[in-house]
Amino acid sequence: MKHVILGAVSALALSSAATFAQDYPTKEIQGIIQWGAGGSTDTVMRAVTPHAEEVLGGTIVMQNVTGGVGAIALNQVEAGQADGYTLLMGAENPLLYKVMGLGQKDYSDFTPVDILARGTPVLVARADAPFDDYAGMLAYIAENPGEVRFGSTGPGGLPSVVTAMINAVEGEQDVISVPYDGDGPALTALQGGAIDVMPAVLGAAIEGIRAGAMKPLLVFETEAVDALPDVPVATAANEGYNKYLPWGPFFGIFVKKGTPDDVVEKLSAAYTEAAEQPDFTELMDNRGFTLLNLTGEEAQSFLEDWQSTTAWLMQDAGQTKASPEEFGIAKPAE
Amino acid sequence: MDALSAFFTVFANPELLALVAVGTFAGVYIGAIPGLSVTMAVSILISFTFSWDVYPAIALMIGIFMGGVYGGSRTAILLNIPGAPSAIATAMDGYPMAQRGEAGEAIGITTVMSFFGGFIGIAVLALAAPTVSDFALGFQPRDYMLLAVLGILLVGSLSGESLVKGIFSGALGILIGLVGMDPLTFTGRFTYDLPLLQSGISFIAVMIGMFGVSEALAQIHHLDTPAIKQKINRIVPSFGTIRKHLPLSLQTSTIGVIIGALPGTGGDIAALMAYDHAKRVTRKPERPFGKGAIEGLVAPETANNAAVGGAFIPMMTLGIPGDAVTAIMIGALFIHGLNPGPMLMIDQPDMFWFIVGALVVANFFMLIFGLTGIKLFTKIVEMPRAVLIPLIMLLSIVGAYAVNNSITDVYWMLAFGVLGYFMRLYGYPLGPIILGVILSRLLDDNWRRAIISEREDLGRFFWGIVTSPLSLTLFIAVILIFVSQTPLWTRIKARHAARKEKATDQ
Amino acid sequence: MTPDNHDIEALQDEVDDLHEHPRDTRRPGEAAFTLLLVAFSLFLVWSAFGISGFEALSAPGTVPMATTLIMVITGGIIAWRTVRLPQSVGEAFGRDILPPLLIVMALLLLGYALLLRPLGFLPTSALFLILAIKLLWRQGWMRTLLVSLGALVLIYFVFRIVFTVLMPAGIVPEGEMLQWVRNLIPGGN
Repeated sequence: MKHVILGAVSALALSSAATFAQDYPTKEIQGIIQWGAGGSTDTVMRAVTPHAEEVLGGTIVMQNVTGGVGAIALNQVEAGQADGYTLLMGAENPLLYKVMGLGQKDYSDFTPVDILARGTPVLVARADAPFDDYAGMLAYIAENPGEVRFGSTGPGGLPSVVTAMINAVEGEQDVISVPYDGDGPALTALQGGAIDVMPAVLGAAIEGIRAGAMKPLLVFETEAVDALPDVPVATAANEGYNKYLPWGPFFGIFVKKGTPDDVVEKLSAAYTEAAEQPDFTELMDNRGFTLLNLTGEEAQSFLEDWQSTTAWLMQDAGQTKASPEEFGIAKPAE
Repeated sequence: MDALSAFFTVFANPELLALVAVGTFAGVYIGAIPGLSVTMAVSILISFTFSWDVYPAIALMIGIFMGGVYGGSRTAILLNIPGAPSAIATAMDGYPMAQRGEAGEAIGITTVMSFFGGFIGIAVLALAAPTVSDFALGFQPRDYMLLAVLGILLVGSLSGESLVKGIFSGALGILIGLVGMDPLTFTGRFTYDLPLLQSGISFIAVMIGMFGVSEALAQIHHLDTPAIKQKINRIVPSFGTIRKHLPLSLQTSTIGVIIGALPGTGGDIAALMAYDHAKRVTRKPERPFGKGAIEGLVAPETANNAAVGGAFIPMMTLGIPGDAVTAIMIGALFIHGLNPGPMLMIDQPDMFWFIVGALVVANFFMLIFGLTGIKLFTKIVEMPRAVLIPLIMLLSIVGAYAVNNSITDVYWMLAFGVLGYFMRLYGYPLGPIILGVILSRLLDDNWRRAIISEREDLGRFFWGIVTSPLSLTLFIAVILIFVSQTPLWTRIKARHAARKEKATDQ
Repeated sequence: MTPDNHDIEALQDEVDDLHEHPRDTRRPGEAAFTLLLVAFSLFLVWSAFGISGFEALSAPGTVPMATTLIMVITGGIIAWRTVRLPQSVGEAFGRDILPPLLIVMALLLLGYALLLRPLGFLPTSALFLILAIKLLWRQGWMRTLLVSLGALVLIYFVFRIVFTVLMPAGIVPEGEMLQWVRNLIPGGN
């Protein structure tokens, strides 16, 4: 035991004397996953990271730090060192923390390593709903105000954004919004008939659609998706959606701002290569995600666009606690 | 015949057989240590088994799941510290048995009954999965709410000396579960703008504090009392004992399967409901409940293991997780290129039968590992308390931290340990607190969903209950159980019994 | 009767006493504890009202208000009953409720909680185990050290290595240590 400690101490002395990026990583890397075990962020991160470990030649220990819609994990990584040994594995939510009053920090305090993939929102209805398509749904809502139940996942979640888009494009819809813990439980409730319509991410709904347990009404994309070639796209249903789409929840890996550039580059290279592995791309296809694999400048501008579109959409829908303007979030170009 | 060969895949393949065995063995120990959870182990296995084939990966996870659910009972019996939430009810009669030196017998009964319950759960999964999942899917928010209310009424049987204290504890538990940012509206509840409170109080931290640290503190009073010598010559229960409890274990297994199959409820609630059921239907226990009644072990242990099979029902038929562990397994199936969902049973029936086969094997290994190695476990209780107490404290701390990698949870755990110590001393039952915490979100979320769905209209809400057979059944059950716990009922029953006695006298 | 059995029964009685035994007397400190709970419940009702008031049936504050109200009512009943009970004879707060040893252990736990982050898991736990076991066990230093460090190594192995639970490292360069050990194992990274 003594030898080990002595060895370790001398190893430490050596490594701190020479913190060059070519040595990185000299110790294990922590990956903090923003969401709980079994969630889609968790699944994606645990699927891509083993490949990245191989490229990197190091160990990445992943742990789930949940709570505060991911803010606890974000703050934990932000409080750590900017040395590239703590990665934040997260989703889109932090970009809305400021306007939703959930926290003072977001991805502007981080450097993106890799924006892995983006999901496609799709509007689904329960199998025995009294309408079969998007136009039918709008007509039914108009005829039966306050009767149709939309599932939601709380303010700032995908359903609230999509519902805000529908309201912005089609005019205010008189529906009941029933909150659930996530799109999984909400889609379960949809199949049980507790709610009528649910805006969900394609990957979560695809198997239910294939089995006929739920009806797809509209895909929120500008072009038809491979998984659902016959389902109309939002921009065809109403040109007003062009203003917002393409839009979708995303997954990304981040390090604290101030991490040496060469470390970020090394990490980015590892994750880019990892995300190109056939079994990962297959997983993304199966779950209906669009692979992005964005790094550097591209990733940065993706984040800014996303934040500006979504924050202002929520602001116009009256769902924010503070205006995006206060945080210098630019209004999207008309 | 394809189904049959898929079912026997595990039996015929030594490698898979070994993986299930290793998983089950590890599961027993993971389950026994408070703070190491099956959920945690399985999610780590996702990365660990990443490059494996899907069958070995799933075989290992199933072993851990089965063993882990059972393992929680070990420390519950030996130390009065449930290793997992689903073993809380087991401690109530298991620990008193250990204090009489009957830990061996208690573990033996627990093992055999877990095996029995596990088997019922698997049988229902294999034979009636689609029916059960249709039934489970039909539960509306108001039904979940009624189920939660039904659960809260269990306070009566968990209360011990004073029902009022039990109700107070239960309400405190519900309150603890409500602390934090409300997930439906992001309104802070009891957060006082402190980051410490915003993400809520971890249920596991409360459990470990209340049962682990407070028990360790209470044991300091008995520092110099020598440890109890455990008789371990009679471990396997006699056939007569098993036969006697067969009707009860069938009933509690059924409770376990159904509660396990419902998305949103799991083995913890199932075990507590089964315990309550046993208390209700057992007319003359050999020993009173809470003092070492065998029935008090049979009920929760059959139920929580039956819930394992139950949890797989919605997972296999609909791709909907029945609990936290099956949620991770669904992720694992995705990673391995399968698409769990309603089509899985149709596209890949082999997977279904493979899982059923692996569960059967895991159940047998659980029986084997459960009945052997008891000597080693009972040695733990015979360790000097002076060593055991600090170790329990350290394990509680590490365990509380491990759940969510959060120091805040450690602080909470310690605070609840101290509170639990005083509550114990002053006769407040701790079971209802945990019950309250478990049911808190189920009650609050579903009440609000139900009433939002009815546009805040109580009339429509009750109309919904009356017009749905399921809701109406649950509603009537709630009323009956409630009435049976009020003093009025006991008085009527007493008068009725007196009259009967008179009648027989004449 | 063998002395062994006698001990078991003595313990059994004590445990019965500790856990559930309908009491007709009040234990030392019980009245104060009960009143504290009532005061706490009252404060919580006020907080629950502050969440959303009587806004709607589905408001986030509805269930909290109902729950805290139940706490106040039951707490009140308990307090009323407890205060009227006679004080138990032969029990003292400093001996039967909070003996000095218990306070010391509680302080050790508090110390642990405070030191965990700055000092790190390994040193804090070692310190805690050694002190607590020495204090309770009253054995020689050699045995104390052996048992506490042995247990710590086992716990560290299971939680940190097998389950990759990252306890706070504090002043111990754990990441480098483990990497160094991994480098010793050929093929491991």
